[in-house]
Amino acid sequence: MSAHRVSPDDLMRYLDGELPPEERARVDAALAGSTELQREIAIYRALKSEFQELSFHPADRYTSVWDRVNARVTRPIGWMLVVAGGVAWMSYGVYVFATSASDPWEKLATGAIAIGILILFASVIWERYQEWLRDPYRDVHR
Amino acid sequence: MQPELERELIRKCKAGDTRFYEPLVRAYEPSGLRLAVAMMGNTEDAQDALQEAFIKTYDTLHRFDLRRPFGPWFFQILRNQCRDMLRSRKAKFRMEFHGVEFEEQLEQQPADAERGPERLRQRNDARATLWQGLERIGPEHREILVLKELEGFRYGEIAQILEIPEGTVASRLFHARHALREALRDMKAEYP
Repeated sequence: MSAHRVSPDDLMRYLDGELPPEERARVDAALAGSTELQREIAIYRALKSEFQELSFHPADRYTSVWDRVNARVTRPIGWMLVVAGGVAWMSYGVYVFATSASDPWEKLATGAIAIGILILFASVIWERYQEWLRDPYRDVHR
Repeated sequence: MQPELERELIRKCKAGDTRFYEPLVRAYEPSGLRLAVAMMGNTEDAQDALQEAFIKTYDTLHRFDLRRPFGPWFFQILRNQCRDMLRSRKAKFRMEFHGVEFEEQLEQQPADAERGPERLRQRNDARATLWQGLERIGPEHREILVLKELEGFRYGEIAQILEIPEGTVASRLFHARHALREALRDMKAEYP
């Protein structure tokens, strides 16, 4: 059997153990009869083996991304709590202001929430602005 | 990680409990980093891509089908993230650190009868050459080589990650391996 009867795709499947047994036997037979094919498979096996030994992990310098991921994925929960609390306080404040003479501490609490929300909005706007500055597509016109 | 445990963690994450996302991130971080480094060429960009991919994965967990494996799905997101970054103006594929890393290994590992410094240096030179070869081939070749050789995905999983028909995986792998072989030949590398 000549090397030409084994296609490159079948050679890859053979190398990666993806051929069914009967197809594998066919390639084995072709290999036995062709030194050219044996050489090809030996080269790809060597390449595969060396590739598998490559080190990608600079352990000394690497720090996990978890902290940064955690900070980002928990942010929406923080926002929801802030918004829910703010809405509750605003509703309560509106109710109190609407039904009775306002007390100073209630004004302070309401004022603190309002200022806190303003600060958070300002920080998000600032972050978005920074992201926009780094956005590689900002000059792309649609 | 056991598939059942993985599914349970994802189920809890879908319910909004972010604490259960940490084991998933820790489990997939090393392999994700390998793919990202291979695609981006350096740890800094790889980390950025990895971080964004984990965040995007979390944000889209509600769309994830629990009957399917998580790994290929995550790698699909990571691969798309890397490609987006490579298309951007800032992150261009650039190799780094590998030479330094090999030197550190030389210092850390004492010479012995079987793995003497000369032998280790030869192996490190061979790896450096392979890295340079990888630098010369395109990201589409690098990604499929990493998914196959380093992560050990089956053809079906690679097809899912790369969003291509399973029948074309072998062909893509052949072209990638052939390209790497040619790149090494052009470098006059006595390798493999």
